[in-house]
Amino acid sequence: MLTRRSVLRLAALTPLAFAAGPAAAQAPMDAEWKKLVDAAKKEGKVVVYNGAVGTPTLPKIAAAFEARYGIRMELLEARASELRERIRTEQASGKVLGDVSHNGSTTTALQLADGTFQPHGPLPNAGKPAAPFRVDEIRVPIYVIPYGILVNSEMVKPAEEPKSWKDVLDPRWKGQILADDMRALGGGAVFFMVTYQKFGREFHEKLAQQQPHMNRELRGNYRRIARGEYPVYLPFGLADILELKGLPVKVVIAAEGAPYVRFDGAVFKNAPHPNAARLLLDFFMSDEVQTIFANLGFPPVIGGLDAKMTAEARPLAQAKLLGTTDPKLQEEMLKLAKQIYK
Amino acid sequence: MITLEGVVRPVATFDAVALGRRIGLAVLLATLLVLTAYPMAMLLYGSLHTTPPGEPGTFSLDGYRAMLGRENTIVLLNTIGISLVKTVLAMTLALFLAWIVARTDTPYRDTLEVLITLPFYIPPILTAMAWGMLATPKGGLINLAWTGLTGIRAPLVNVYSYGGVVWHMMQYSTPFLFLLIVGAFKSMDPSLEESSRMSGASAWTTFRRVTLGLMLPVTTSAFILSFIRGVESFESALIFGAPVGIDVITTQIYSLINHRNRPDYQQATALAFGIMVLMFGLVIWQWRLLGGRSFFTVTGKGYTPRVARLGRWRWVTFAVCVLFCAVTVGLPVGQLLIGSFFKYVGFYRVSMLTMEHYQAVWQNRLVWRALGNTLLLGLLGATATMLLGGIVAYVIIRTRSRIRRALELLAWLPWMMPGMVLGIGFLWAYALLPGPIQLYGTLWALLVAYVTLGTPLAVRTMSGAFAQLAHDLEECSRVHGAPWWTTFRRILMALAWPSFAVGWILIFFIILRELSASVLLYTVGNEVLPVVVMQLWSEGKAEQVSVIALGMLALVFLFRFVERRLVRTHLNWS
Repeated sequence: MLTRRSVLRLAALTPLAFAAGPAAAQAPMDAEWKKLVDAAKKEGKVVVYNGAVGTPTLPKIAAAFEARYGIRMELLEARASELRERIRTEQASGKVLGDVSHNGSTTTALQLADGTFQPHGPLPNAGKPAAPFRVDEIRVPIYVIPYGILVNSEMVKPAEEPKSWKDVLDPRWKGQILADDMRALGGGAVFFMVTYQKFGREFHEKLAQQQPHMNRELRGNYRRIARGEYPVYLPFGLADILELKGLPVKVVIAAEGAPYVRFDGAVFKNAPHPNAARLLLDFFMSDEVQTIFANLGFPPVIGGLDAKMTAEARPLAQAKLLGTTDPKLQEEMLKLAKQIYK
Repeated sequence: MITLEGVVRPVATFDAVALGRRIGLAVLLATLLVLTAYPMAMLLYGSLHTTPPGEPGTFSLDGYRAMLGRENTIVLLNTIGISLVKTVLAMTLALFLAWIVARTDTPYRDTLEVLITLPFYIPPILTAMAWGMLATPKGGLINLAWTGLTGIRAPLVNVYSYGGVVWHMMQYSTPFLFLLIVGAFKSMDPSLEESSRMSGASAWTTFRRVTLGLMLPVTTSAFILSFIRGVESFESALIFGAPVGIDVITTQIYSLINHRNRPDYQQATALAFGIMVLMFGLVIWQWRLLGGRSFFTVTGKGYTPRVARLGRWRWVTFAVCVLFCAVTVGLPVGQLLIGSFFKYVGFYRVSMLTMEHYQAVWQNRLVWRALGNTLLLGLLGATATMLLGGIVAYVIIRTRSRIRRALELLAWLPWMMPGMVLGIGFLWAYALLPGPIQLYGTLWALLVAYVTLGTPLAVRTMSGAFAQLAHDLEECSRVHGAPWWTTFRRILMALAWPSFAVGWILIFFIILRELSASVLLYTVGNEVLPVVVMQLWSEGKAEQVSVIALGMLALVFLFRFVERRLVRTHLNWS
């Protein structure tokens, strides 16, 4: 059985070789990987700490993982800040119960700086993610959530739909926009940071003059749009449209592209099931899992899945991406958003 | 001791009773210290340290300095104002409703008593959703009806306002206060009121100076409990206040923890301790108000509470109760009930009629596992908490023990701390627990947390009941040779049984709804219902949450039925 120490030693010696996956390393890798799979099966389970509460993706992936390897993937869900404090306290006390983190790239980057994770070691699928996504020593990219605009299709005629982010500055939308709070961590903050960097402060000063009604009740907000309380909502997680079938709402992907947040996986330091954790990280990047994400409307991080996507999910999963967050700028951006949206 | 020369001096004997009493008190004190003071100590450390426990950092008063800023002072005054208005209105309404149910011949009082309490058991997020649909200025059903009837386009009601925040908080405060005070109305000895009337006092003076006067321990406790809970209330202000710039202390704390790149636990915990100090001022006020006075209404003499004959007016009081139930129960629960049979709540088209939400909940193994865990924790937690609370209340109210004030202060602590901060305290305390005891990661961590959270309510409920019991009952039992435990169980607890039952039910349902601590302490396999509800809600499955809430309401009916049967049995037996 592979021990945690041997995995770490192996990873420390040859991280780049495994990340790139050169052909020369393939044969020993196969043998090592088979040992790891056996060790993971002996561990029997892997515990995932998930910061995206209620995501429909992970239960499907848990079922696929168990079907493939016979290893149970257990999910512990909590909101990002609560999960982060749990993880920090577990690490500080040495009572580590979780194996794998599934969280947004900003939170993962902050935890990385805190020394929360251990190197995952060589992964056969490490070379699969396509630019701009890549695997590093600690993190693997899993999928992204891109954001667009949700409109009430009974209130907004197709010709009037905002086609671009800048269209929401049209005076006709004054007092008509419901928004995810840009002053708090979440989709609103992602939208603020990306559009602030792409379109400048002026864009947000004008948007603030539109007097958007902001809160953090995402799911409630979708219903408020459908009921006709407001005609326009932003930023809207594109994949969520699949959960709103039958309601008078329509998603618009802005011409400039979709701001997005990437979700990362990483193995906790002193994880109780390190082999199963590593196996799961690799599984996240497999065609099987990436197809599950794509068909739930989330852009995958690997290429070559177009033929496997459903017609319904394809436009969502293939949305043009505008840009993502920079963890180093997050605090400053939150302060700016509070200044602009008082 | 008086001794006489020539008389054999009594040998210093081993006083087993006194020793047992001291050991019992020491165990009680130690239990409360572990339950309440230990997590508080962790939070205090957090408020005085630049980093949370377990991280290198330095001690500083930065959190308290930040707390004293102008912005926080304004928010604090805002919070106190909202909670005071809410508590005064809810208390007035609850007193009136309790009087109607307990002391008048209003028809269908038994049914009304159960219906009035129902809003307390509905998850706040669901009533918020319902009221959002009913009273939003843009397209709310009430406003649409108003415009349709009058032609006036300006909205009649706007739930996104101070009034909306207070109204949503009152949905919980009124039944909570009603539950706490209705028992005291019922156990009022009518001879005291009759004496007042015979001495020439008017009915109103008698009600004000005798009826309400004798209920002071119960009403002041209930007022303080409700006011403090109002200060710590979170959902109403977050959902209906924050979007229009109405900030309260808890939304500030929430923002410090959740809306920062790195959570500022130092300032968040300092702010929570600031509230705690202010709230203790209220407790001291209650001590001064009640100190040295007697509130006995239950004596060895039998009586039947006097019921006012209202004549035709009884239909007016009946209408008041029905109106209250229609607005606070009928409207939101009606929305949940109807919405649960449609694909989406609020979209009532025949094509969207479905049973899929009931099927989904029925087939969701996680829901059933969480329900099993929650019921187990609820039963164990509510029973353990009420027993502990009963014993603590006994020491506080019916003994002159030197540590009774310390016990009372310790018992108040968890109620003074906002739930989201206290949850962090539990996490730090249990995970960083030194020694071989492994509490974090087990179901027992949740149980200990729930007992801690429920203790203040249990102590206040039982204190109010014990304060009404005359000492002669207890003394009579002990004179006849009954040991302390038998007297406590067969006399005090039997007479205070209605309060015990109400406290038990309140704590049971608080456990069923508790999220702040649960989400930080649960583990895979030990899921509890509030966590699963949060997951379903986050997934956008409001309809399934409605189904679960309706199941909880069915449970309320079952429990109230059993409780009333038990109360009747016990009262007959006693």
